Amino acid sequence: MSVSGGKNIMVYVETVSQSPVSGALEVLSKAHKLAADRGEKVIAVLIGMDLEEAARTSILAGADQAIMVKRETYDMEVFGEVLTKLAEKYRPSLILSAGTLAGKDIMPMVACRLHTGCAVDVMDITETDGQLVFTCPVYGGTVLNQLIITGTPAIGVVRSGAFAKELISERTGEILEEKVETEDTNRLKIIDVVKEMAEAVNLEEAEVIVSGGRGMGSLENFKLVEQLAEACHGVVGATRPAIEAEWVPRSHQVGQSGKIVAPKLYIACGISGATQHVSGMIGSGYIVAINKDEDAPVFDIADVGIVGDAVKVIPLLIEEIKRISSR
Amino acid sequence: MAYLISEEAQDLLQDVKNFCEKEVKEPCKEFDVSGEWPKEIYEKAFEQGYQALEVPEEYGGPGLSRVDVAALIEQMAIADAGFATTISASGLALKPVLIAGSEAQKERVCELVLEGGLGAFCLTEPGAGSDAGAGKTTAVKDGDSYVLNGRKCFITNGGVAAFYCVTAMTDKTKGVKGMSMFLIEAGTPGLSTGKEENKMGIRTSNTCDVVLEDVRIPASNLIGEEGKGFSIAMKTLDQARTWMGCIAAGIAQRGIDEAISYGKERIQFGNPVIKNQGLQFKVADMQIKTETARQMVAHALTRMDLGLTYTMESAIAKCYASDIAMEVASEAIQIFGGYGYSREYPVEKLLRDAKIFQIFEGTNEIQRIVIANNIIGR
Amino acid sequence: MELLVCIKQVPDDSVEISLDPVSKTPALQGVTPVVNAFDTYALEMAARLKEAHGGEITVVSIGGEDVKNSLKNCLAVGADNAYLVKEEAAFSHDPAGIAKTLKKAIGEIEKDRGKPFDLIFCGKESTDYASSQVGLFLGEESSLPVAANVISVEPVEGGIKLKQETEEGYRVMEAALPCVVTIQKPNYDPRYPTIKSKMAARKKEITELSPIENLESQFKVLQILEPPKRAAGVKIKGDNIQEAVTEAMSVMTKARIF
Repeated sequence: MSVSGGKNIMVYVETVSQSPVSGALEVLSKAHKLAADRGEKVIAVLIGMDLEEAARTSILAGADQAIMVKRETYDMEVFGEVLTKLAEKYRPSLILSAGTLAGKDIMPMVACRLHTGCAVDVMDITETDGQLVFTCPVYGGTVLNQLIITGTPAIGVVRSGAFAKELISERTGEILEEKVETEDTNRLKIIDVVKEMAEAVNLEEAEVIVSGGRGMGSLENFKLVEQLAEACHGVVGATRPAIEAEWVPRSHQVGQSGKIVAPKLYIACGISGATQHVSGMIGSGYIVAINKDEDAPVFDIADVGIVGDAVKVIPLLIEEIKRISSR
Repeated sequence: MAYLISEEAQDLLQDVKNFCEKEVKEPCKEFDVSGEWPKEIYEKAFEQGYQALEVPEEYGGPGLSRVDVAALIEQMAIADAGFATTISASGLALKPVLIAGSEAQKERVCELVLEGGLGAFCLTEPGAGSDAGAGKTTAVKDGDSYVLNGRKCFITNGGVAAFYCVTAMTDKTKGVKGMSMFLIEAGTPGLSTGKEENKMGIRTSNTCDVVLEDVRIPASNLIGEEGKGFSIAMKTLDQARTWMGCIAAGIAQRGIDEAISYGKERIQFGNPVIKNQGLQFKVADMQIKTETARQMVAHALTRMDLGLTYTMESAIAKCYASDIAMEVASEAIQIFGGYGYSREYPVEKLLRDAKIFQIFEGTNEIQRIVIANNIIGR
Repeated sequence: MELLVCIKQVPDDSVEISLDPVSKTPALQGVTPVVNAFDTYALEMAARLKEAHGGEITVVSIGGEDVKNSLKNCLAVGADNAYLVKEEAAFSHDPAGIAKTLKKAIGEIEKDRGKPFDLIFCGKESTDYASSQVGLFLGEESSLPVAANVISVEPVEGGIKLKQETEEGYRVMEAALPCVVTIQKPNYDPRYPTIKSKMAARKKEITELSPIENLESQFKVLQILEPPKRAAGVKIKGDNIQEAVTEAMSVMTKARIF
C-alpha cells in the first residue's frame, strides 16, 4: 500500500542501551527545522523496551510527538514492519533515520514496502518550490548529487555529523505508546550477538579524533597515535591501509567504507589524504595534518600542516600538549 | 604507447598490472633494501603462472606470441626489475631445452615450470665471462652417466631453481667445440649453491655461485649432442637478450611514469615543475628513447615468431634498451632533484637496477661486436 | 549449493572522479571499468563456499556489451556461468528497478539451468553510487530472507549460518534457503585471475537476457555538484622538528584548539 499526499516528518530514533544514538538526535533537530518551515510536526518512533527517557530526549531534540513501540529484541524485519505500519497510519511526507548500520538496513525495506525511494548518506536536505532536495555523495564523495524523491513518503538515511543536534530543555511534546501487530516470520534467526570491542568505538560522537595511516609504518609506531589521542582526550581513528595492516580494529576506520565523522578537532598522522579517507572527515571543525611528504593532498584541507615524520613529530606534540594543558 | 598486442594479451596485461601494482611494486621496496629473496611474492606470482609464460602451448603453456609476453614482462619490470629478471631468467633456462632438447626433456622442464619451478642457466664461470669458451667445468662420461665438476658464477636463480641448464667441457682439447649442455634437476647430489652476491641492483633476484662436485646425472640429460653446448648457449643468448631489452625498457618506462607524476605534483615558483619547457624536453627525450627501445624489442621478437633471423636485432634491442634505461633513469633522478637521490623516493633504484642490463647476457661491448660482425662480416 | 553473485560494473574506484567542467557530469572517460569491490568480495566468498561444499557459481549483471568483460573477469576467479541482462540504460535505474530486473533475470536463469539458487550474493554497496539497497530490495521483492553486511556464511542443517557485522562486533544468524546476503569485506582478499584461468574464461559464452521495459525511477537528479573545497591553512616545514611543532602549537592555541 502506498502512502500518498502525506504530511509531517517521521524519524526513526534508534536506541542503544535505552538511549537514542547521537545521529538520531541530529536528524530530529534537522527535522524540527524542516517541519517548522512547512508547518508540520515531527514524529519520533522508538522501538524497544523502557524507552520513556529516550522518548523525552527525542522531544528535547525536536520531536513534537514520540511514539514508543514495545519489542524485546532487535529484528530488522520486525522493526521495518513496525515503521511501515506506522507510516501507513500517520502518513508522513518524509521519513528519516540516522545512517547507522541498522538505519541502512531498515529504511530500504520500508521504502520497498511503501513503493517509494530511499536516499542514503544524505548530507543535506533543503526545500525548493515545496520539494525536498537531498544532497548525496557519489563516487566516494568527489561528486554530489542533488535529487528529489518522486514517491511518497520520501525516505532519507542521514550521514552522521551532517546536522548539528540541539537539545532544548524547554521543549515539550506528547509521548504515547502504539501497539503494532507484526508478523513473526522469523526468516532470519539471531543465534548470538558478539561484541568484539570492550566498549564501542564512538567515533561519531567524539570531539577529538586522532587518526593514523600507512605513513605510521608499523604496529609499534601506531601506538604513538594512541598516545596522542589519550593526551588530547580523543578517540583513535585510522585509514583503510592501517586497518588492513591490522594495526587497529576495523571499528576505528574513518572514511567512505568506515565511519563518517565530524569532530571539533581531527589530527591526521601519516595520512596522505586519499579521497576515500578525506570524504569521511572533511566535515571536521579543525584539521591538523602531520606527513613527511610535503606534497601530500592532506595538506590541501588541513588548517595546520606539519611537514615531518609523524613518528618524530608526535612525541614532541604530546609533550607540548601536556605542557599547555597543565597550565 | 606500448606493444601492439592481441586482445587476450590486453586483457591479461590489465590483470598483470593489477597484480604487480598491489603485490609486487610496494612489497618489493623492502626487499630491495634487505636484499632478501621475496619468496612469498614469487609464490603468489607462480600461482598466477608468470614463470610459465614462455612455455609453448603444446607443453601446456598459454600460447601467446612473444610480443604478447613482452608486454606482460614489461609490466612486471615497471613494478620491479629484479622480479621481472627472476621470471624471465626462468624462460632463459627453458631455451636450451626448447632449442636442442629431446621430447622427454622438453616435457620434463615444462612440467617443472608449470608446477611453479624456476630454471637457471649456468654458463659463466669465474674465469670465463665474455670468453665463455675458457670454461673449466668438466663433464666426464662414465658408462650410462656423466659426472660434472666445476663452479659457475653470477647465476640468476642459482639458489632457487628447480632445474639447471649447465655447460661443461666434454673434450677440453676442442675448445668451444668441446663444450656440451646438460640438464640437472635441483636436489641432484653434488650440486650446491655457493656465495650469494650482494648486488647493486635487481636485489629481489637471486644471484649466486652454483657448485658442481661429482654431480652424476644420467647420460640422457645431455641436451642435444656432445660438443654442441657452445652453439646451444649462443642460440639461447641470442633469443634471451631481447628479453633483457624488454625489462630494460620497462625500467625506463617506470622512470618516465615517476618523473611525470612527480613533475606534476612538485610546485616550485608557484607552478608544477613539469610546466618548464626544459623538463618537458627531458621527458620527451626519455619517451623517444624508451619507445624506440620497445619497438626494437618488438621487432626482434616478431622476427623470432616469424622464424626469421634475429641475432643482430636481438643484440641491438638489448644493447640500446639497456643504454637508454641508464640514461632515462638518470634523467628521472634529475627531474626529482634532491629527492631523486634519496632512497625514500623510487627513482634512484631504477639507476641501480638498470646498470646490470648493460652487463649480463653479454656485455654491451660484446653486443656491439655481434652487431658489427653481422653487418661487416668476419 | 547453487550460488548466484550479482555483479555491478563501476568506474575504477582508485581513480578520483571529478566533475567535467563543460558537461557538468562526472568525468568518466578513460576510467577503467572494474567489478565493484564489494561484489568481488562476494564472489570470493562464494568461491570459497563452493570449494568447501561443492556446487556451482553463476554471475549476473545488468548493462551494455562492455560489461561482458567484467563478467569474464568473474569467470576467471571462480564463477562457472555468466548472464548479462542487456540494458544500456542500467545506470538510470534506481535500486528498486535494479532489484526488479534482477528478480526477473533470476527466474529466467533458474529456468535456463533447470535448478533454483540456494544463496544469492550481492556486494553490500557499490563504490560509485553506494546506495546499499539493491540486495535489500531484492530480498523484499522476492520475499526471501535478506541479511546485509555479512562477513561469513557457512551451510548448516536446513539452511545457512551467517555472521553480520554490527557496530560493536557481529551477530550470528541462521536462515533457511534460499536467502539473499549482501557482503561486507571479510578478512581475506579476492584471488587474482591467473593467466590460465583468464585464457579459459575468455572462451566462455555469456548468455544474454532481456531487460524490463519502461522502468520508472523514484529519483530525479536535479543538479550535480562538486563538494565545496576546504581552504588549506598553514603548512609548517623546517629542518628542526621541535621548532615546527612549537610553531604549529602556537597557531593552534591562537585558534583556541588547545
